[in-house]
Amino acid sequence: MEVSEPVLLILLSLAERPRHGYAILQDTESMSDGRVRLSTGTLYGALARLLEDKWIERFKEQDRSRGRQAYRLTDEGRRNLQMEVSRLKRLARLGTLRVAEKGT
Amino acid sequence: MLALYRSILYFYPAPYRAEYGDEMLEVLSEREAETRKKSALARAPSRAREASGLLYGALQEHLRRFRGAHDRGRFRFLFLGGRVAMRSEFRFPKATVGLMLVILAAVMFTIEKAKAISASIPHGNPPVGHILPSQLTILPTLLVALISAIGAGVIGWAILFALRRSGIQQLSEMNPSAGQRRGK
Repeated sequence: MEVSEPVLLILLSLAERPRHGYAILQDTESMSDGRVRLSTGTLYGALARLLEDKWIERFKEQDRSRGRQAYRLTDEGRRNLQMEVSRLKRLARLGTLRVAEKGT
Repeated sequence: MLALYRSILYFYPAPYRAEYGDEMLEVLSEREAETRKKSALARAPSRAREASGLLYGALQEHLRRFRGAHDRGRFRFLFLGGRVAMRSEFRFPKATVGLMLVILAAVMFTIEKAKAISASIPHGNPPVGHILPSQLTILPTLLVALISAIGAGVIGWAILFALRRSGIQQLSEMNPSAGQRRGK
């Protein structure tokens, strides 16, 4: 599965704790300093794909007064996210080195 | 505004709407409450983003269903099957047969009518003049016949090709993919 930036932010949001749709939207926005502002359509497109691939699962909340559905990361999802973060770390390290190099 | 969002939700595939529709409306209403706090000027862009996001999402879901992308990765070969299955424009609906019969009847009727008219007109046509030898050469006639035959062949081949693409191939490639999708 291709992990785009919005998907990565959604996963990071759920990595912290289970969240429902609107809370994910708020969290992704604050994590990216307001740069990534997902629409509801985009969010649910990503959630549907993540559910299908079993990266996330539905989570029964204590407070279901408003009929909101929360989601949480599965173990597989957490492993995949860990791999993705390692990949980004390597990329960032490489980026730091390459940018520091002077062109000949 | 929520009524508009709700109507856009109808563009989504029915199973998707059944699964996420209520939740999405809930999130949209929370978003709308947040938007209402903003100035009138700032409301329009955020509403436009939500509406276009929904429309784009609906399109994506339909495309995903079309390609059988539920089996992304594991059943990659189905992507081709999905594309072939899209060629539904080559399928003949049952109504086509009826339409063709009507057209045929109209043509027959026109021919009969023309015959009747020509028979009712007295033979006042001037006689055909002498035929010049240059008009009798056989080569142009053969050339015309050859071109007509090639044309008919190409049309026939195109029809057969279209039927093959739509009929046998579609059946053989659609059934397994449909079965797997249902099995999921």
